[in-house]
Amino acid sequence: MATRFKSDETFRDDYRYGNSDEGVLRFPFPFVEDSYMYSVNMEPHTRSATPGVFAAAFDVDEHYVTECAERARALALEPGRCMVLPHMRDAEWDTLELIMESLALDYPDQFTLERHGLDWTWTNRPLGIHQSFRFGDATTLPHPPFEYIVRQAQGDFTLQDQRDGTLYIDGGVATTPADWSLAFDVGMTFHEWHGPVPLAHQAGVFDRALQYLMRIRYGEPARRLNWTMTVHPRLDTSPENYPLWGPDRAGLTAENIGSQLFLRVELQSLFRLPRSNALLFGIRTYLASLDDLTRVPKWGRRLHRVMRDLHPDIAGYKGLTRYHDVLVAHLAQFDDGEPTTPGIAADIAVLPA
Amino acid sequence: MTNARTLHLKVARADGIAPTLRRVHLVAADGARLPPAAPGAHITLTLPAPAGGRPLHNSYTLVSADPEAGYEVIVRLSERSRGGSRHVHESLAPGDGIEATAPHNLFALHSQAKKHLLIGGGIGVTPMIAFVTHLREQGASFELHQIAAPAEVGVFEALLAPRAGERIHIHAGRDAFGLTALLAAQPLGTHVYACGPAGLMDGVEAAAAALGWPETHVHREDFGAAGGEPFVLRLAASGIEIAVAGDQTMLEAIEAAGVDTPSLCRGGACGVCMLPVSEGTPEHRDHYLSEAERGAGCLVMPCVSRSRSATLVLDI
Amino acid sequence: MSTGTASNRPRYAPLAPDPRARAHLLVTDHQDIAEAAFAPGIGLADFPERWDVVAHALVLPEPFGGPGVQHFRSASHLLALLRHRLAAETMGLRLYVTGSEPFVWDAARVAIEAGMGREEMRLFATGKPVRRVSCVHCRTINPGVTTTLVTCAGCGVVLTVRDHFSRVHNAWMGVQCDAEVPGEVPAIEDLSA
Repeated sequence: MATRFKSDETFRDDYRYGNSDEGVLRFPFPFVEDSYMYSVNMEPHTRSATPGVFAAAFDVDEHYVTECAERARALALEPGRCMVLPHMRDAEWDTLELIMESLALDYPDQFTLERHGLDWTWTNRPLGIHQSFRFGDATTLPHPPFEYIVRQAQGDFTLQDQRDGTLYIDGGVATTPADWSLAFDVGMTFHEWHGPVPLAHQAGVFDRALQYLMRIRYGEPARRLNWTMTVHPRLDTSPENYPLWGPDRAGLTAENIGSQLFLRVELQSLFRLPRSNALLFGIRTYLASLDDLTRVPKWGRRLHRVMRDLHPDIAGYKGLTRYHDVLVAHLAQFDDGEPTTPGIAADIAVLPA
Repeated sequence: MTNARTLHLKVARADGIAPTLRRVHLVAADGARLPPAAPGAHITLTLPAPAGGRPLHNSYTLVSADPEAGYEVIVRLSERSRGGSRHVHESLAPGDGIEATAPHNLFALHSQAKKHLLIGGGIGVTPMIAFVTHLREQGASFELHQIAAPAEVGVFEALLAPRAGERIHIHAGRDAFGLTALLAAQPLGTHVYACGPAGLMDGVEAAAAALGWPETHVHREDFGAAGGEPFVLRLAASGIEIAVAGDQTMLEAIEAAGVDTPSLCRGGACGVCMLPVSEGTPEHRDHYLSEAERGAGCLVMPCVSRSRSATLVLDI
Repeated sequence: MSTGTASNRPRYAPLAPDPRARAHLLVTDHQDIAEAAFAPGIGLADFPERWDVVAHALVLPEPFGGPGVQHFRSASHLLALLRHRLAAETMGLRLYVTGSEPFVWDAARVAIEAGMGREEMRLFATGKPVRRVSCVHCRTINPGVTTTLVTCAGCGVVLTVRDHFSRVHNAWMGVQCDAEVPGEVPAIEDLSA
């Protein structure tokens, strides 16, 4: 089924954003059981046989066109939201090739890549782009190769250089960050980057995750889901602009929380890049309001149980503390105490009206 | 996400470049593009074993890799060949099909090096050719010292042509080469890369360490420890016996036997596939179990770990 | 915002010569090095080549003068000559740095730019905690911060210092402390408390 791209959405100011029923049902609900704790929840990023967010290497959904417009807007305001250190040049071209190849393979009606030696032609129909360029020659593209392709992709990306037995964040784009700053974090090691995350270090989660990531092979990517919550469908929840979005947290009430609070899920994917031996880390953000999610009975029950029992340090790190009581009280109405099935499936094919 | 685990290749050309060296040029069997590769990467070829035994899996560093032009490897005829290099030298011919893994790089150039010091011994020249090509393109600072048997100096000169002034040195035998003096003279920020006989690579590591080089600046060729010896798995509850092949993981063997067992990351990190051991000695390769748990020997992660004993009994 | 105990705050181990190294150079931004900077049983005598800062303009150090104690006019003076010295060094050197945290990481940056890896340097920050705080909103670097809150010299907001340190920028992240409810400013505390 061809995706109908929304054309009139905004992720700031007036927040014109919504999910279709299909968009809600394909939402990557992140809680596999009725409680949540950090774990190494990584698995092979193989294409699922059924439609959904796991059916493609880089999922393209109904928000594709408007999210690309939001990225262009964010980069126009703050060009430093995309930066790549000079030694990552090969990784930039690797990223361009991987995303172009994957989009053309997964969505042949929307994207086409033609290659003759180093002379490539890229067609992106949803964005109306037709670009001939010479692979490896940055002067033949309107932006540096990494920035060029991430302007045509949903979600943030970072580039990790693998050396000295760890991974260094030596580049990326972060216009949809969940409260982390690329400009500040650039050059950090894997452990330094994750320094602020509570509880997980003590559990050895990052040590094990790092060993796993450094062994990821070309053609065998991995993925995991991560989550937080955001007031309004705001993609740019950067620390840079915290003064702009922070006050929204204090504005939540029992009356508006269902429509104004969004579960923010990151589909994180990791790809070994062949020329540079770097890792591409995709952080694809999906937003759905509590009102949307609680239309799925299983998700409503589970959200209530997860949020009610959430460790206070995790609630604090994810910025939920201020409205946590209001959130749990709101979700209680969707929890009838019935058991839930394991896994993240919605268990319904059509949303109740 | 193209599950590029297995590449179907065919031999485009194969030339003897010396009595014991054969250069093999591989392209995709269907003419499609091949995955690109970084200098230092290797592929593992599946080669038929003589007398109908199990196929052999030999790893070879890529001398060059281009998605359209294909891959180049150089294979030395091993005197103790199990049949793999002999097959490449004596049987492999243009047009033959051959299976390979996607390129994998465990011998990468370091992005922060101020200078790259390359030391090759004999057939260890193969990654050095890829390194030199790349470093020349980058305009990076490098110096190559290649050790060759006196009779083969000419072969290596031809392989490394065109030579770049003082940057490429070919030594007739290891004795003709002052390793310690070379390492002692290197500027701060140098990384050394060694490939060749184990004795040469050990010698480089030892000499560098004695001069105070940190381990992170010393690199040696590594094909990784994929696979291992075959062994037998017995599932105590059902009495099922499963043969785990050398190139197969325990988890794959259990799944192939139709036994349903949970797994997630399949890389020894998440802990989901952990199984109880009741007899035998696991060879732990995971990052999940603690030292104490490993010592107790009662748990194993079948996605990456193997068995030291001929039989491993699982309590499932 | 991060609460809890999460941190990537640098951890420092007291200094001791690395027995595997070929040569050793100890640098500091002051003149007297506290005993606490050294591991048990280790002292100044274990570092025959030392560079320190005497804070006047009458000294003329010889950075290539061989083992001995060299005095520099300022930390900046020392770092500039350290850059030259490292450019002429060969592999096997270990650099030991002690002093204020901003100096320690300035010296580490000079070493990294010379191609040294983290395992070729040993760092130990001493004295009263002093931090360089980078305002994440306006990019202003606020030096000399000794408390948990600081008014940004660039955009004027009161920053809370997150436990998030960049070794690249040699700065801690400062974030507006009352962004969610303007005026709701937490109590200020001394960093050494």
